[in-house]
Amino acid sequence: MSSSLLMLRNVTKMPLKWAAASLSTSSARYVEPEIKNDVALLNPEEIEHKKKLQNYITIEGTTTDISIITGVPEEHVKERRVRIYEPPKNCMQSGTNNIGHWEMDFDNRERWENPLMGWTSTGDPLSNLKVQFTSKEEAIEFCEKNGWKYYIQESKLEKKFKPKSYGINFSWNKRTRTSTK
Amino acid sequence: MFRLTITRALNGAKVTPKPLFIAARLQSGEAKKPEKIEVFIDDQPVLVEPGTTVLQAAALIGVEIPRFCYHERLAVAGNCRMCLVEVEKSPKPVAACAMPVMKGWRIKTNSEMTRKAREGIMEFLLVNHPLDCPICDQGGECDLQDQSMAFGSDRSRFTDIDFSGKRAVEDKDIGPLVKTIMTRCIHCTRCIRFASEIAGVDDLGTTGRGNDMQVGTYVEKLFMSELSGNVIDLCPVGALTSKPYSFTARPWEIRKIDSIDVLDAVGSNIVVSTRTGEVMRIVPRVNEEINEEWLADKSRFSYDGLKRQRLVTPMIRDNTGALKPVDWEIALLTVAKVIKNAGSNIGAIAGGFADAEALVAVKDLLNRLGSEALCTEHTFPLDGSGTDLRSSYLLNNKIANAEEADLVLLVGTNPRFEAPLLNARFRKAWVHNELEVASIGPKVDLRYSYEHLGDNPNLLQQIASGQHEFSKKLKAAKKPLIIVGSESLERPDGSAILSAAQSIAAQASCSKDWKVLNVLHKVASQVAALDIGYAPGVDKIREGNFKVLFLLGADENAVEKSDLPADCFIIYQGHHGDRGAAMADAVLPGAAYTEKQATYVNTEGRAQETLAAVTPPGRAREDWKIIRALSEILGVKLPYDNLNDIRDRLDEVAPHLTRYGSAEDANFVSQAQELAKKAKVQLDNTPLDVKIKELQDYFMTDSISRASPTMAKCVQAALKHQQSKYQ
Repeated sequence: MSSSLLMLRNVTKMPLKWAAASLSTSSARYVEPEIKNDVALLNPEEIEHKKKLQNYITIEGTTTDISIITGVPEEHVKERRVRIYEPPKNCMQSGTNNIGHWEMDFDNRERWENPLMGWTSTGDPLSNLKVQFTSKEEAIEFCEKNGWKYYIQESKLEKKFKPKSYGINFSWNKRTRTSTK
Repeated sequence: MFRLTITRALNGAKVTPKPLFIAARLQSGEAKKPEKIEVFIDDQPVLVEPGTTVLQAAALIGVEIPRFCYHERLAVAGNCRMCLVEVEKSPKPVAACAMPVMKGWRIKTNSEMTRKAREGIMEFLLVNHPLDCPICDQGGECDLQDQSMAFGSDRSRFTDIDFSGKRAVEDKDIGPLVKTIMTRCIHCTRCIRFASEIAGVDDLGTTGRGNDMQVGTYVEKLFMSELSGNVIDLCPVGALTSKPYSFTARPWEIRKIDSIDVLDAVGSNIVVSTRTGEVMRIVPRVNEEINEEWLADKSRFSYDGLKRQRLVTPMIRDNTGALKPVDWEIALLTVAKVIKNAGSNIGAIAGGFADAEALVAVKDLLNRLGSEALCTEHTFPLDGSGTDLRSSYLLNNKIANAEEADLVLLVGTNPRFEAPLLNARFRKAWVHNELEVASIGPKVDLRYSYEHLGDNPNLLQQIASGQHEFSKKLKAAKKPLIIVGSESLERPDGSAILSAAQSIAAQASCSKDWKVLNVLHKVASQVAALDIGYAPGVDKIREGNFKVLFLLGADENAVEKSDLPADCFIIYQGHHGDRGAAMADAVLPGAAYTEKQATYVNTEGRAQETLAAVTPPGRAREDWKIIRALSEILGVKLPYDNLNDIRDRLDEVAPHLTRYGSAEDANFVSQAQELAKKAKVQLDNTPLDVKIKELQDYFMTDSISRASPTMAKCVQAALKHQQSKYQ
């Protein structure tokens, strides 16, 4: 795997040079001296920092409260209740691609009809904040980080597996026999 | 019909040995637990039980195969052909929904052949489907729209529009709830299968063949079912849509809030769709342990009752005898003055829509004032263990387990209209599990066959003592259930009925975790009220000489003005101007279930919470907050200021009230039975009866549904149907 990656890297570098070569029309090619900006202008600490940023950043102590610096008004941190839940399938449709994750939303606040256009207004900046997570734990961590009180609403979605059968529509001694078509 | 003739022929003593042999072999095969077989879906291996269909096997590893006619809760029809997939070495594509997998099959759900097959099917469906998506109510949540986007062709070859045109079908009138636009129908037959399998009403069917095929009721008649609204959800296109909701909102502009239904004691999970601070519609939300994905018609369509007859401002009765609107300050001060003068001489009655928060707040307030007279509108026998042991007033065996039962005895109940979704479970067991049902009570139509034992309560005594034929069946049953209707327990001999049912339950031979005795309640608040410590029944109020009576949404006229002393001041707190508000001297407007975050406990003892979808109208407020405000004026301030605080109080009273979603097991069944033996009441001979016998009685039973115009139309339609010659 690693060798193939290495190959890949080489391959991607090679055509760049060739491309530059094929574009040039002059017979004698002037080769620019390569000056790397980061090497020339940055001091060693800065280079070190930049290298670090190219990789994933690991933050220690992820559950520390960041509500002081998020800019969310204090009222909306202390008084809101966050619901963490697993959305079930929409009963109107058969598609399942938009389920199977966890979501959070806030308690619903007052809305009123705006006299100007008749549209609905709300004073709640968080009313449209619906964040999706891959797991319950991630959602909990996010809420803890933001200092919100949360609760988990478990959905009862597990169903016993039962093989479906076309044949039972025609069974002669069972009530599953279909009479109407 | 065919089935009947065959069984009759077999019962005519000419049983050939061959079918019996097959049946025996099948049974032994089931017991062995067959080995799993391996198949490959898009080269991913998956182990499945034999008999699993291709579609199910694909679903196991998260591969979704498009479908129209297939629905996991209905029988397989296999007539839309949308689920065609390629199977390696098979010359033709196979219908994934009906084809059981074979060992080693390689199924390709995204191959060239599969995609071509889907495209072809899509093209055929769209040839006869009108292009009216912009005015269709299903637009935005339509399976046909979605799947034509995902799997359909990018161009049309349909050119016949100038000659014969698209197929057009006349619309049918099947009642005030379901609107039909039959031209849009793609003949998936989901509605037909729902009607005949789940609802048990064989009203829908098809006529004609090929291009002339039509889905309908054969003759124009009402779709006579209490579950009829579910065909709207099932319909993958816009052929069946909701009549009250038609042209009112689009799915992308509504806000969906998950909540709980309170119009019966089942506690179905719902999604309340709102727009501009108004409830636009209510649809079910999947909960496998309660309502699966169905919803009863009263719960689904009575939301327009939330916009009418509402109490929007506090009111005080003036000296002319009329209720005059006042502001909150005056109302609370007046009420507080009266209560202060009455001292501990105050009683309270909780109605069917009261939430646990309001119930505990009222109880705390009255207890602080020195009164213990807190009652529920609906009676429950207090002899024996009374309401001290939860197992004697819960549906102990849980709703979902009803599917596994093999024998059900109904006592004084009509589950079809008292808890339509529990009845749907019974019907499911009757169809798939050969459930046997017997009933003691009035002869009603449950949409499945049952043995009517009679309506004399003494039959219970006979079954308990083993004199009755039925007791043999009961002893032989492995998973029997006794469902006692709360209405039968409201009789004067209610405790004797409960005691008899308990002793029958004790005789059943089944495993420990199968609870035989189950009580079915009719209103959403009852279990929470009994858990919190309300006394069932209003006898206390009638006997005590109260100066003040507090009605918390009590609208069923359990106590009338004539039952009370002349100087009794009646306070009504609730959301509808119904019977309770009519007799009140002061009215405090509360919030309906869509307007508050509140706790309700269903008949299984499962606590669930509603979420606020809209704000209460006018000056109406959340119920527990009104009580909290009143307590401060009275000088007995209740120690909770926000929802978290009052939930902590609920937790203190009974921890299960805040364990949302789960139903705690109730125990001490045998102890309850021992205590019940001490009850001195004797069974009397008056026949067991239920209030709701027919469909027209079902629609308007409480203050919300009585205020609903849609429900009124349903009653009218059901009454008209009675006159019809097409029953």
